[in-house]
Amino acid sequence: MTQEHLPSTAPSLARLIQELNKLPGIGPKSAQRLAYFIIRLPEEEAYDLANAIAAVKQTIMFCGQCQNLTDASPCTICASNQRNRAQICVVEEPLDVLALERTHCYRGLYHVLHGVLSPLNGVGPDQLKLRELFARLSEGSVNEVVIATNPTLEGEATAMYISRHLAGGGVSVTHLARGLPVGGSLEYTDELTLSRAFQGRQAIE
Amino acid sequence: MPPFRTYRAEALVLKNAPLGEADLLVTLFSREAGKLRAVAKGARRSTAKLVGHLEPLTVTRLALSRGRSLDVIGQAEILDNFTALKTNLTAVTRGLQVVELVDEFGSEASANEPLYQLALSILAAIGQSPDDEVPLLHFQLHLLAASGLMPELFDCVECRRKIEPDQHRYSADGGGVLCTGCTPVHAGLRPLSLRALKVLRLLARSHATSLPSLRLDPALTQELKAILTGTLQYWLDKEIRTNSFLNHLARMDKANTTGG
Repeated sequence: MTQEHLPSTAPSLARLIQELNKLPGIGPKSAQRLAYFIIRLPEEEAYDLANAIAAVKQTIMFCGQCQNLTDASPCTICASNQRNRAQICVVEEPLDVLALERTHCYRGLYHVLHGVLSPLNGVGPDQLKLRELFARLSEGSVNEVVIATNPTLEGEATAMYISRHLAGGGVSVTHLARGLPVGGSLEYTDELTLSRAFQGRQAIE
Repeated sequence: MPPFRTYRAEALVLKNAPLGEADLLVTLFSREAGKLRAVAKGARRSTAKLVGHLEPLTVTRLALSRGRSLDVIGQAEILDNFTALKTNLTAVTRGLQVVELVDEFGSEASANEPLYQLALSILAAIGQSPDDEVPLLHFQLHLLAASGLMPELFDCVECRRKIEPDQHRYSADGGGVLCTGCTPVHAGLRPLSLRALKVLRLLARSHATSLPSLRLDPALTQELKAILTGTLQYWLDKEIRTNSFLNHLARMDKANTTGG
């Protein structure tokens, strides 16, 4: 929604609507609703929101090691001496780190790529944090790279690219198992997932 | 005849993109109706029954219902997911170039069975021989033919005389080969070697299900790629996006083989 479309709206309000409209998933109508909600907020709460946005823009940076978003570099995971420094788990986005941390089953370090190779959209290796990953691995202290990209065509292409790049370098490259989701149904599972689940079957203990 | 509310289609998945909280917007090239876009509701949830059936480079049989703006995918069954192709990075990228070009040249709501069959045969051929450049070159030339843009390979596009050996050049703008006697004002006039012309004529005669077995040296491969890519980009009036990653992989392979 641009100012031209709102001739009777005060310029400052039109600007707020225009800025909110840039947020993902927020259309012109939602932007208007949010803007009027903000106007009705107590002054303190409105400033809290504005200050929170300003604070993240001023303090959030990339961790110098894992490239995750952090307010101190190295981040708490990279700085911790409780983590296994010989393992690096490669993920697409910062939210994937949170998802894996919630499982409490991985104690190694991470590396966030901030995207995935997407030749169809012109996203190549230079647009991702791959150079930083290869630089980390060249230091020689890592013996396993766990690739945890999404099991999509682009996620798999990214995994194959990393694996091809590291071939013969003495680092073990693994990826997360593919298979059936908890609560899923065999009948509706696609053939590729089902065949991989079958290949990865395990003994019942 | 009024369209039925639900219909079935067999389609190659060209690409998909997130839509809303958990939906997927899928671009398909169907045998029955050409290019179409449809939404798969809730397909991004990990337990969704549709998600694995709608990855790019998959042939699926779909049941769809007509929506107000986008049709909705109700059921999907995989017919071919090109497993061999998907285990090799170069082959996947070549496959992505096939779907990129089908997406660019395919028309919406207009069936093009020859192009559909060509795409499927070429994806199978790429999977069978991931290191072979011929399937993608064949696809590029026959895509131009299926779109009514086949370059002229036998007669000069200016004077219409039969092309004599080693007396030829190529112009994407002019629509094919030119004799050395004609010097039009076309931009993009480029030399064309006799062996490249012979390969192009051979590819034009060949069929996607029985591709010729050719051993192309790097210089000839480069020349053929430049001619076909240049022609496709001339008609598209933009870059082929998958090319830059394909070139990156080729440089990576070359560095590995030379030990660089």
